[in-house]
Amino acid sequence: MKRLLATALAVIMVISLTAGCGGTETTTTKAADQTTTTKADDTSETTTGSEEPSGPVEITVVTSYGGDDGNRGNYEDAVSAYEEATGNTVLDASATSDEEWKSKVMTDFEAGTEPDVLFYFNGVDANPIIEGDKVVSLDEIREEYPEYADNMKEDLLVPSPVDGKVYTVPVNGFWESLFINKAVLEDAGVEIPGADYDWETFMADCEKIKEAGFTPVAVSLQEVPHYWFEFAVYNRGNQDNHLNLPASSDDETGAKWAEGLGDIKALYEAGYLPDNTLTASDAETVQLLADGDAAFLIDGSWKIGYFQENCADNLDDFALAYVPGQGERKATDLVGGISMGYYITRKAWEDPDKRDAAVKFVEHMTSDEVVSVFATTSVTALKDGVIPSDDLDVLQLSAIDMAAGATSLVGAVQDGMSAEARGDLFANIKNIVTAKITAEEAIDSALALQ
Amino acid sequence: MNSVIYKKKAPLLLFLLPAFAFMMVYLYYPFVRNILNSFVEISGLGTAAGAVNQPWYSNYVNLLQDPSMITALKNTAILILVTIVFQVGIALVLALLTDRAGKGAQFFRTVYFFPIVISGTALGLMFNLIFLYKGGMLNQLLQNIGLISDNVDWKDEKHFLLTMLLPVIWQYVGFYFVILITGLNNISADIYEAASLDGADGWKTTWYISLPLLRNVLFTCLILAITGALKVFDLPWVMMGSGIPMDRSWLTGTYMYNQTFIRADVDYGSAIAVIIVILGVVISQLANFIFREKDY
Repeated sequence: MKRLLATALAVIMVISLTAGCGGTETTTTKAADQTTTTKADDTSETTTGSEEPSGPVEITVVTSYGGDDGNRGNYEDAVSAYEEATGNTVLDASATSDEEWKSKVMTDFEAGTEPDVLFYFNGVDANPIIEGDKVVSLDEIREEYPEYADNMKEDLLVPSPVDGKVYTVPVNGFWESLFINKAVLEDAGVEIPGADYDWETFMADCEKIKEAGFTPVAVSLQEVPHYWFEFAVYNRGNQDNHLNLPASSDDETGAKWAEGLGDIKALYEAGYLPDNTLTASDAETVQLLADGDAAFLIDGSWKIGYFQENCADNLDDFALAYVPGQGERKATDLVGGISMGYYITRKAWEDPDKRDAAVKFVEHMTSDEVVSVFATTSVTALKDGVIPSDDLDVLQLSAIDMAAGATSLVGAVQDGMSAEARGDLFANIKNIVTAKITAEEAIDSALALQ
Repeated sequence: MNSVIYKKKAPLLLFLLPAFAFMMVYLYYPFVRNILNSFVEISGLGTAAGAVNQPWYSNYVNLLQDPSMITALKNTAILILVTIVFQVGIALVLALLTDRAGKGAQFFRTVYFFPIVISGTALGLMFNLIFLYKGGMLNQLLQNIGLISDNVDWKDEKHFLLTMLLPVIWQYVGFYFVILITGLNNISADIYEAASLDGADGWKTTWYISLPLLRNVLFTCLILAITGALKVFDLPWVMMGSGIPMDRSWLTGTYMYNQTFIRADVDYGSAIAVIIVILGVVISQLANFIFREKDY
């Protein structure tokens, strides 16, 4: 009897170990079978694809609205509203967007543990999941749900570089621009930068700010040199050639990049960056601007939320201005675009219970009402534009003024680089500014990984 | 050992099978896969393996020429030494002192062990605040007592090693302290009593009784400290992620993570992981050989 019991226990333990693998296959098969049935039914009955799910379902969602994202609160409110309206449950696994997060998202797809809905980049970063047929195109979704994303301007829906098809429904775009601390500028006797702000004036302003005992530019070169790289390179080119990638440091684009990196080095050597820019985190340097210790910060439209949350008492100290221009780039030529959107994964699409819930979720999160709350000051793809709000604070109004004065909007060239090449280049910026390697060497090192 | 259950091996093997299967699936298969990955091109997690590297061992050649990897190996070696001297050393001193504290020993045992139960990430964030450049606790303290006038960058090239090692040492002292004090408690009180009757004072008792009888426990601690130092990751990563400053603070674990998850060079990260395993096996075997237990 004991032997029998022992044998039975051991067998149960072995089976329980392998149960996960078998379970996945069974579920998939079941889902596939049901999908086939559903499609046949749909064809005969309706083209709306809005089959009734068997009851409330649970969907997993991954977005970049995590951590200190300015829209985190809006996201949570919108998710709650969806749950309330549908009875479905959202398992949220959002996190702050960085290279680590991007890797994790890709690993989940590779491991078969991808979410049902994903808010992610629509450029080269998403190539692996599109090449692997892990997400569903808008064309395919619209065969079942013809009204899907019909509140968006078609020409602003970004096609995938892989096959030219659109996979994402955007919420709002972004711009990158210059946040300023007006109190610091006033104390240093520097005028608030206008639409004609140029590099020469900027360098002169930095000198005045430094002499007044402040840090001119808040930036962590060891962690987030991205924004300064983008504008430094743009300043050495123009709107037409900004998105070109160099083949080597010797060609025209490579030379442009080297000059741009040289401008960052000049800022470092002149002492215009924080003393600890090579060791500080991004949070530390942003804090310098918030605390009134630094004057300038280049960051994205999402940063407004940070100042609203952390500097509510002196929000009118902050404003949006233009990153100083140089050469053919005017200060009002911004970097930005619509680089992210909601994907529905193949896994959710082929699960008849989750399909409808996932579609409804994306429709809810990209409705005019929700997008208007998220966008406020940034560009959107909405046909009817954002619903105006009369509850804007001074920083949002400043951002709207800044965006209204923009003369052009071009994407970020770094988004065209592979993660490996981008990581290498940005990790080497600290070595460039300290003259451990030349800008040309750093560019060639990155391109070898492209 | 004459129990009935051990006469027939089949049930015994059956019970061992689940753990064996678990280890095969979740440890040995990934390990073998990792070795294979180090020979093929994988540019990003989630992307399929590409062609075999040319030459196939190129990642291992690159490791030898990579200054950051050499830095990581040096720092890991320093960490092992520091761990042995300070973690186990301080734990031994504290254990010997606490052993004399009598009833208060339990209090000190709890106090010194406490850092172990806090996650490395939380400790890393806490120490980040202590060593913060502007408004950090240490800089404020030193300025208030007049030792410094300007902020000190505790993560710069002059100070980074101390800034990184101090929290790591502090975190694990309690772990070895508890092991050592348990070893001291196991030494019979009769021996101390006999020594006392023979006129041995506190120092002689420690030197001639406590330490020799603690030898095996002490060596176990040393082996644990050495192998533990090879695996340290969370605290240095939170404090010194990305090799702050200027790629000077890499450890083998943090550098592997950076290459794999941040720089998306998965095959190179796999090669570093293989080296970490080889180092772990060699060093722990060496430590086992040097500090092997002796019977008295």
